[in-house]
Amino acid sequence: MNQKVSTALDASPGSLRSAAPGSAGDARTSRLRWIQVLRLMVRFQSILGLVIVFVAAVIVSPRVNGQLIFLEPRNLGNIIQDISEYGILAVGMTFVIISGGIDLSVGRALGLATVVIGRLMMVSGWDAIPAVLGTLAVGLIFGMVQGAVLVRFKLQAFIVTLAGMWIAYGLALSLLPNGQFIGITFGNGPNHAPTIFQHLADRFMGVVPVAALIFLGVGLLGLIILNFTRFGRQVYAIGGNERAARLSGIPVARVRIIVFGIAGLMAALAGIVDAGQFNFGNPAEGFGYELWAIACVVIGGTSLFGGRGSMVGTLAGVLMLGCINNILLLCNIDNNVHTIVTGLIVVVAAALQTVVGGFSSSVEADQPTRPAGLEPAQPGQEVPKSV
Amino acid sequence: MEVAGRMDVVNPGTAGLRPTTLGAAPKPDEGQPPAILKLSGIEKRFGGIYALRGVDFELRRGEVHALLGENGAGKSTLMNVIAGVITEYAGSIVLDGREVRFGSPAAAQSAGIAMIFQELDLVPGLSIAENLFMGREPGRLGFVNQTEMRAQGDLLLDQVGLRASSRQLVESLRIGERQLVAIAKALSLRARILVMDEPTAALASSEVARLFGVVRELRAQGVSIVFISHRLEEVPLVADRVTVLRDGEVVGTVDASAPQSTLVQMQVGRLMAEFYPPRSQSTQRADVLRLERFGFSPRLRRSGYQRPIDLTLTVREGEIVGLAGLLGAGRTELLELLYGAGPAGVWSGTMEIDGHFARPRSVDAARRLGIALVTDDRRASGYVPQLSVGRNLVLNYLRNLSRFGFVLRSRERPVVSRVMQQFSIRASSPDAPITSLSGGNQQKVVLGKSLVGSARLLLLDEPTRGVDVGAKAEIYRLLRGLAADGLAVLVTSSEIPELIGLCDRIYVLREGRTVAELPSGVDEDVVLSWAGVRLRERVHPVPGRGPATGSSQSGEEARS
Repeated sequence: MNQKVSTALDASPGSLRSAAPGSAGDARTSRLRWIQVLRLMVRFQSILGLVIVFVAAVIVSPRVNGQLIFLEPRNLGNIIQDISEYGILAVGMTFVIISGGIDLSVGRALGLATVVIGRLMMVSGWDAIPAVLGTLAVGLIFGMVQGAVLVRFKLQAFIVTLAGMWIAYGLALSLLPNGQFIGITFGNGPNHAPTIFQHLADRFMGVVPVAALIFLGVGLLGLIILNFTRFGRQVYAIGGNERAARLSGIPVARVRIIVFGIAGLMAALAGIVDAGQFNFGNPAEGFGYELWAIACVVIGGTSLFGGRGSMVGTLAGVLMLGCINNILLLCNIDNNVHTIVTGLIVVVAAALQTVVGGFSSSVEADQPTRPAGLEPAQPGQEVPKSV
Repeated sequence: MEVAGRMDVVNPGTAGLRPTTLGAAPKPDEGQPPAILKLSGIEKRFGGIYALRGVDFELRRGEVHALLGENGAGKSTLMNVIAGVITEYAGSIVLDGREVRFGSPAAAQSAGIAMIFQELDLVPGLSIAENLFMGREPGRLGFVNQTEMRAQGDLLLDQVGLRASSRQLVESLRIGERQLVAIAKALSLRARILVMDEPTAALASSEVARLFGVVRELRAQGVSIVFISHRLEEVPLVADRVTVLRDGEVVGTVDASAPQSTLVQMQVGRLMAEFYPPRSQSTQRADVLRLERFGFSPRLRRSGYQRPIDLTLTVREGEIVGLAGLLGAGRTELLELLYGAGPAGVWSGTMEIDGHFARPRSVDAARRLGIALVTDDRRASGYVPQLSVGRNLVLNYLRNLSRFGFVLRSRERPVVSRVMQQFSIRASSPDAPITSLSGGNQQKVVLGKSLVGSARLLLLDEPTRGVDVGAKAEIYRLLRGLAADGLAVLVTSSEIPELIGLCDRIYVLREGRTVAELPSGVDEDVVLSWAGVRLRERVHPVPGRGPATGSSQSGEEARS
C-alpha cells in the first residue's frame, strides 16, 4: 500500500481547464471528488470490508454474562488460528497472482507436506528442525519445478499447476507407508515424533495461537518483500506487461520461477502447521484450499489479470473471511450459509472493482486534453497539466 | 511530401483568433450534393467533463470527409455517437432528412452506418468468410451453407481488391489486408456511411496506397466516408473536406486542399514553431555504433530468421541516423538484435560499440554497453499499464536504486523527478497512473525510462506512432537535445518525411540489406525508390483537384 492513491484526475480539477464555465466546472469537481473517494474505498475495500464485518460481528455477537463472546481474546485467537492455513497459502498466492499467474497445486502440495513431515519424523526418525527444513525444501523445489516447466515450455500457469495438483496428490499417496495415513504421536524413541513439534498447536502466552503467529509473520514478510524490494517491483512489472519487463532487462524467467517457489514454500509451511494441529500425515488434507486462497486474494483487491494488488489487501481479506466464519458459528447459523456468504463476498469484491474502476476510467479515456505544448517546459516555469 | 516537413505558420497574427475565420472555408454552393448526415449541437459529457460541446458536422453524399484533431479532441467520441456506440448525448442527428437516434450499434448498422475500428473486430482464428458473415451466415435450419458463404465472400473481397480466398484464416493476413476485410464486412452490411478510425495508423505505404484506392472506389459508388487520421499529409490525397476538432469543439470545416500549416494551426490552436529542430553543425566525431556486413548467419536464416542479412552502417556521437525501408525490410528486427533481444545464435559480420567488438546476448548485456531501445508499440512492450509514471520510469534502473534488494525511495525519488523534468513529462505527480497520460507524454515516459542511466546509443522504433502533432514536435526537439549532449540515435520510421526532417543521414534497408546511405534533406521519392517502391504504385492525389502539395507532386510527375 505504499503507492499513494492519486491520479491525474485528482491533481488539478480546477486548474485543468480554467476555460470551463463555472457551473459545469463545479459539478465536475464534485464528481471527481466522488470518484476519488470511491477509488480510495475500492483500493482499501478489503480493509473496509474487514472493519464493517468486525463491527457487525460485535453488534450481533451473543453475550455470556454481559461479555461479548466475539471479542474475547480466546475467540479472537480462534479466528486467526482457523484461517491461518488459508492465510499462509494466500500469501504465496498473492505473489503468483500479481505476477500474472495462478497456482492450483498449493492445496495438494499442503497435503503432500503433511505426509512428508509425518514420514520424516515418524518413519525416518528425523528431529523436528531438520524435518521442518526438509519439508520446506520439498515445497520450494516442487514450486520451482512448476515454475521452470512453465517458463521453459511457455505453458500457462493454469495447466502446469493443474498437473502439479495431481502429481502432488499422487506423490503424497505413494509416500504413505502401507497405504495408511501417518498418525503423528509424540514421545521419545523410534516411531515417535519429537515433542517440540507439539508446540505448533499451542498458544503463545496462552492467548495467541502459534499458527496465527506464523501466518502473521509470513504475511508481514511477504508485505515487505512485495512492497519494498527490487524483486517485488519486478513481480508487479512482469504481471503488468511481461514484454515491457523483459525489454527493461528484468530476468523474467528467474522471477517467475522464484514466485512459484514461494507459493510451494508457503504450501509446505501450511502443511507443517496443519500436521502440527491435527497430528496426521494425510494426502487429503488441504483439498480445495487453493480456491480459498485465491478467494482471499481476490477479496483483497488483487487483479487476476496480474500487475495490480497488494499483500495488505490479501491479509485483510483472509481476516475478513475468518471473522464471518466465526460469527456465523457463534450465532449458530448453518454451515452451508457460510459457504454461500463466502461466494457472495467474492462476487461483490470482484464486481466492486470493475464497476468503480470502469466508471472512472471512462471519464479519463475520453477527457479532452489541452494541446501539448511545443516548448519544452523550462525549469521553474509552471508546467501545464495534461491528462 | 516535403511540405510535411516544414510547417511554419503563415500568418502568426491569426493565432489568437477563433480559427473558424481561417481561410478556405467552403462556400455554400448549389452544386454540392445534399447532406446525407447532419449532426447539430451534439454534446456529450463524461462525468462533469465535456467530451463534445455543441458539435455541428455535416457529411455529404459521396464525399470523403476527414476528421482531424489531437488525441482527446473528441474525434472518437463523435464517431461513437454516430455509430450508436454512445447512446446518451444531447443534440440531434439527421439522416436523410429524418431525425434519428440510435439505441445501439446494431441500430446504426441497419440504418446503413458502419464503423471500422482501430482495433479491428475480427476473429483471427476464423476464416475470412466466417468473419464477413458472422451472426448472419447464409443457410437454413441453423446449418451454414459453406459454399454459398464462400462464394459471396469472394465476391466481396473482389470488390475491395483483396486478392485472397475467403477460406483463408484472418490470422494469415497482414494488418492492411485485415483492414480491407473489415471494409468488405461493412460493405456487405450495405453501409452507405463508412466511418474509419485511423485506418492507416498501422499500414505500410504500399498498403496505404491500396486502401486509398478502395476508398476512392467506394466514393465513386456513392458511399460517404468519414476518415479519421493522424497523418496530415494524407488529407489532401484522400479527402474532399476536413473538419478539425479541438477540446471537444469544432474548430472549422475547410476544403481538403487547405495548406497543411493551416490545418496544423487549427489542431494545435496556437503558433506552430519550427516543426523539426535545426540540425546540429556536427564536426567529425567518434563512431558509437559500427556494423559491417552484419546479420544473421546462414544457419539462423535457414531456421526462419530472415532479416537482417547484410548491414553496414555507422552512427556517430551526437548524430541522429535514420533507417528507412518498407515493412518487412528488417528494421525492427535489427533494433531488437542490437538490443540483445533477438534470437540466440550465431551472427555474421562485425558489431562494434565505441570501437570495441560487441555482441550483446541479453538485454542486460546490451544495457551495460549503453544501448537503449524504445519499441514501436508502447502499449504492448513499452510500459506497464498498472504502474505509476514514477515506477515505470525506474523499471530498468532498479539495481542502481536498491541496496540488499530493497528499493530505496530516497534514491528513487530524485531520479524520477529529474527524468520527469528533463523530458518535460506532464503528469500531476510521479504517482499518477501512466494510463492517465496523453499519448505524447506516455511516449516521453518510455523514452525517459530507456535513457535513465548512462546510455550511449538510443535505438528508436517508430518514435512518434500514435502521438499528436504538438507532441511530435516536442519529441523531435528532445531527441535533438539528447544528440547535442553526445547521444547517438538510430531511428526507424515508416513515415519517411519524418526521417527526412529529423535525421542527419538516412540508410535505406531493402530485404535485410543496406542499399543506400543518403544525406539529410533528400527527396522522399529518392528514399522510396531505393526502398523498392515503384513510384507508379504511389498514392496520387484525387484527380480533378488542384495540386495540394506542390513540390513532391511535381517531383513525382517528373519521375513517372
